[in-house]
This record gives sequence, structure tokens and C-alpha cells, in this order.
Amino acid sequence: MSIVQLSRLKKYFGAVRAVDGVDLAIDQGEFLVILGPSGCGKTTLMRMIAGLEKPTAGQIYIGDQDVTDLPPRKRGVSMVFQSYALYPHMNVFNNIAFPLKAQRREKKYSKRAMRDKVESTARLLEIDTLLDRRPRQLSGGQRQRVAIARAMVTQPAVLLLDEPLSNLDAKLRANARDELKDFQRSSNITAVFVTHDQIEAMGLGDRIVVMSEGKIQQIGSPQRIYDDPANEFVATFLGSPSMNILSNEGFRFGFRPEHFLPKTLQDNPENSRIFRYFVKRVEYLGSDRLVYGYVRGHDSALTLAKVPSNVRVSLDIEVDYEFAVHNSDIKYFDRSSGQRIEQQTLAQSD
Amino acid sequence: MYRFSLPAFPLDNRRLVGALFLAPALLYMLLLVGFPFVLAIAFGFSDVTVGNTDLNFVGLRNYLAVWENDIFRQVFETTIRFTLVSQVFILIFANILAIIFTQDFTGKWFARFIFILPWATPVSLAMIGWLWMLDTKYSPVDYLLLQTGFLGPNGILSNNRNLFWLATPDLSQISVIFVQVWRMTPLATVILMAGLSSIPTDILDQAEVDGSRFMRTLLQIKLPLILPIMVIALLFSMITMFGDMTVVYVLTRGGPVDYTRVLGLYSFQVGIEGGNLAQGAAISLFAFPLLLAMAIFMLRTASRAEVR
Repeated sequence: MSIVQLSRLKKYFGAVRAVDGVDLAIDQGEFLVILGPSGCGKTTLMRMIAGLEKPTAGQIYIGDQDVTDLPPRKRGVSMVFQSYALYPHMNVFNNIAFPLKAQRREKKYSKRAMRDKVESTARLLEIDTLLDRRPRQLSGGQRQRVAIARAMVTQPAVLLLDEPLSNLDAKLRANARDELKDFQRSSNITAVFVTHDQIEAMGLGDRIVVMSEGKIQQIGSPQRIYDDPANEFVATFLGSPSMNILSNEGFRFGFRPEHFLPKTLQDNPENSRIFRYFVKRVEYLGSDRLVYGYVRGHDSALTLAKVPSNVRVSLDIEVDYEFAVHNSDIKYFDRSSGQRIEQQTLAQSD
Repeated sequence: MYRFSLPAFPLDNRRLVGALFLAPALLYMLLLVGFPFVLAIAFGFSDVTVGNTDLNFVGLRNYLAVWENDIFRQVFETTIRFTLVSQVFILIFANILAIIFTQDFTGKWFARFIFILPWATPVSLAMIGWLWMLDTKYSPVDYLLLQTGFLGPNGILSNNRNLFWLATPDLSQISVIFVQVWRMTPLATVILMAGLSSIPTDILDQAEVDGSRFMRTLLQIKLPLILPIMVIALLFSMITMFGDMTVVYVLTRGGPVDYTRVLGLYSFQVGIEGGNLAQGAAISLFAFPLLLAMAIFMLRTASRAEVR
């Protein structure tokens, strides 16, 4: 059952088409990640769901209600901002209690019920010992929990998260990601998470929505969008280093660096495509070797290979090798539209 | 391998450059603030007059004389009353206007421009304008009230054709306070506007998503967050007003009787116009400890609020 439904949603800022016709159904209890480069419209999309931005055209439904023209407080959504936006002059208790107080008239909470809700939410996020502190006395990770607690205390239908992990340092981030996912699972809340970080997206999302230039490029499970990209944008946006793209007559094709291996390492050489590969430079990255070079016949496109360090293959620079890609790992794209197309015949490179 | 060095350039010396940058401000402070201040203190403890400029130390004689003077006590009280009453109105108006001017509406730029004029106009010039507006006989305000039936025979406010804005005890005080509020509100508003626009939009968006309406956001989020800046604005306008003499000098000369005589004006009248420099200095310095204590208290409040 979908809890949020977006229908032909558009938002133009003057001539800029921030969101340009988005249709999306978000399921109850799912963790949906909206992924895209900066400026792709993902934050604007989220702000429209929250009610902070009025759509130029289109409809937003939450539950069964058309909320397109309703203010945020009538939508049953809550939001965690990238900066956490904690109220600096209030202690943690009052920060978490603020939405309850603000919605008191509609929801008719008693003072006692509010206190209980704040305390139980704080316990859930393990910040119940910090209730008297002010935001500036908290660490980054604690601030993030307070922001989530404040968003959760009203038991919203949808929790919107705008890059809430990007202000944490790298070590804390992996941990916070894990906790966030656990928390979302156990509370079974519907979460919409906006990020430009593909690792975050792959790790957290039940489904990922890849956006670019205000449009949805692909919706699918992390594995689906990685292994089966709908177009060249999705193919190259996901993965690091990104997919090698080579041009052929009439179409383009690509393969990921980790699928591009010396022929001797390819387990199924009959079903593979062989390329003559000129090695220009090798970077040793610990677990992998990153190889820079050219596929003969495509000398203008820098092509990368990611070869595991634990396989005994020597790669010398300025030498041609035979490299192979499994046929199923080669993706084909239309030359002009960039859309995925059926498998094409590749001329053998020599 | 070769080495070369540039000749020492005087401006590479950090201490020298630092001193150069500080010099204008320091000179200004010393010559135009420090020197007159020290001189005033010296005058206050002496028997100097315009006629006899010898400085003879007389201890606290001037201060005691001033304190026992009934006029001075009334002047002191009037000054405090004017300052406090006008600050209340300035704060209310400045807050309302700052909120209006930080909203989006057409003609905002023009409205802001018009609004800043009272503060941008030289005081004496503006006061001459008000002198005419509040004229005993030809006041346009009276004229309008007359035309609308508030004044004149069977008028609602008075049977007279005039209200005598600057000539009755109550109205003259109200007029002076009104003009001060008119003059000082723009500055306080501009300071508060700066404060309001420095509130992160995330915080305001968050409040909106949390379900907060206009008044709650204003009272529980915006005002507490600009409190430090509000204190600074208050401090500025209080100190300016406490020491001001131009407004009453032009409008009323302290009259009728002593009803609008304030400290700055009284000090000027005794010290310069009356020639008793020593007592004039003592009068003006009477306010100093009070202002100093106030400034310290307010700045402390502001900085404490800021670090929260």
C-alpha cells in the first residue's frame, strides 16, 4: 500500500526546472532513498512533500488525502534537516517537545502525555540522559539523534531526511547509517532519505530513486539499479570508479571496471568479449589494483580496470594485454537518448 | 644554486602595519572621546567658569550642589522617564516593523527607503520640521483635527482650535517622546532586521514542519534567537537618547517651565549658556555611572544569550 503518492509533480523556479514531472509511489514502511547529484531536484522534491515548497503543477497525496495545498502541519510528515536545525535556545527536552506543543491544539495532548512521549522517544534513541543539555553541548551524533527524536515524537506518517548523515565524520557516519536503518526497521516508519552519496543510498535504501535534471531516471532496489541501469546516466552515476563507456557505430556500450579483467582470470571466456587493452598506469590501492589504459580501437576513451590484488597477474605498463568482459556485464545504450537498448553485435577489437 | 633577498620593506613589519591600521580609530577615540571626557571630569571637580578658566580643585562641591538642586532632580527624573517610556515604544514598533520588512511584498525596497529617512535626516533639520508640525497656532495636525471635528467649537478633544502640542505640561512631554520614538525606531528596526535575517532558514523551516504557526514561531523561536541583538539595539538607542539634547533644544528649550528639560539640555544650559562650566560638567557626568552600569549589564546579558 502506498502512503505517499506524487503525481506529475513539477516545480519551476523561473526558467529553472528543479522538479520536472515526477510520478512516485512510496510504500508504507519502506526506506526510500532519493539519490542524485547536487542540483538534480531531490531536495526540492522532498520540500514539496513536506509542504515547504508549493508545486508549480501536480498533486501530492499522503494517505488518501490530497495534501497539495495543505500547510506542513496538516500533512503528518516530519523532517530532519542536514544541519539538524535544533533550536539553539532550548534544551533537548524542549526541542523534542516542540512539535507536540505546536500541534497540541489539534491533537489534544495532556501535559503528562507530552512528557511521556518525549521521554519514551528519547529512550528509544538513547538520549534520555541528555534532556537538560542544550544543543551546543552535544556531539554531532547526539545532535542527529535529537533531531530524529524530535521528528519521531509526533509519530508521523512519513519521516523525511535531508542528508542527515553528511555532517558527521566518516567513522561516525557508517555507524549512524547502521543505527538509522535498524531504527527505521524496528519502528516500521516510512522514511524518505535524500542524499548524493551512493554508498549511503545503496546501504540504506529498500528502493532507490535516481534523479537527474528534475526527472526520475530509475527506481529500483540497490542491486537492480547497479546491475541493470536504465540508462547511461544511472550507469555512470553509480559505482566508483564509474562505468567505462565506449562508443561504437550507432550505439554506445559500457562495462564496470571490476568486470574488466585479464582474460586468464575470466571464468567463462567463451561467453566473454575479448579486448586488447593497453596498460598506461597501475595504481595499487591495497585490496585492488586500479589500471588505467586504452582499449585498442577506442584510443580516445580512458578505460579503467579494477583487478583484485590477491590474484597473481603481473601488469606492466606500456604493454598490451588481453582483457575480457562477460557478455552479460556489457550494457548497451542508445547513442542519442542514452537509454538502455538490446544487446548489439560488437566488432572484435584487435 | 643562488640566493637573493628583497630589500626589507617597511610594510612587511606586522607590528608597524597593525599600528597603522589602528591609528585612525585610536586617534579618534583619544582626541574626540577621551580628551573631552577627561576634561569634563577635571571640570567637574573644579570651579572653572567661562569667565575664569583657572582650574582650582574643589572636591565634590559641584556634585553636592547639583544633587541638592530641585531642578536637577526633576531633570534627572524626566530624562529617565523619557528614555524608558520611549524605549518601550521603540522596541514594540521596531519589532513589528522588522517583521514586516523581512517579509516579501511588492514595494518592499521603497517602503524600507521611506522608513529609514527619519534616522538618515540630520536631527536639527528634522526637528525644525516637527517644530512646524507641532506649532502652537499653525500646526497641520491641529488643522486636520479641526477639519474632522475633533477640535474647534463642540470639538471632541477640545473646544479650542489648537491643542498646544509643545505648550502644555502633558502634551509637551508626549510630543517629545513621540518625536524621539519617531527618530530612533528606524535604527532599532534595522538592527532587528539584521538579527531576523541571520536566523538560519533551516530553523524556520523546521518550526513550520513541526507545526508551529506564526505567533508561536515569533514568540518561541524568532524573538529568543534575536534577543542578544535586541539588547544591543536597546543599548544603542537608550544611550543615544539619554544623552540627547538636540530634540528638546529645538522643540521646547526644556519648557513649558521644566517639563521637557532633559539632562543633556540642562547641562548645556548651565555650563555653556549660563557659563558655569564646572557645574555643567558635573551635571553631564551624573549620568555616567548609571549609563556605564547599564551598558555593562546589557552587554553581559547579550553575550550570555549569544553563547547559548
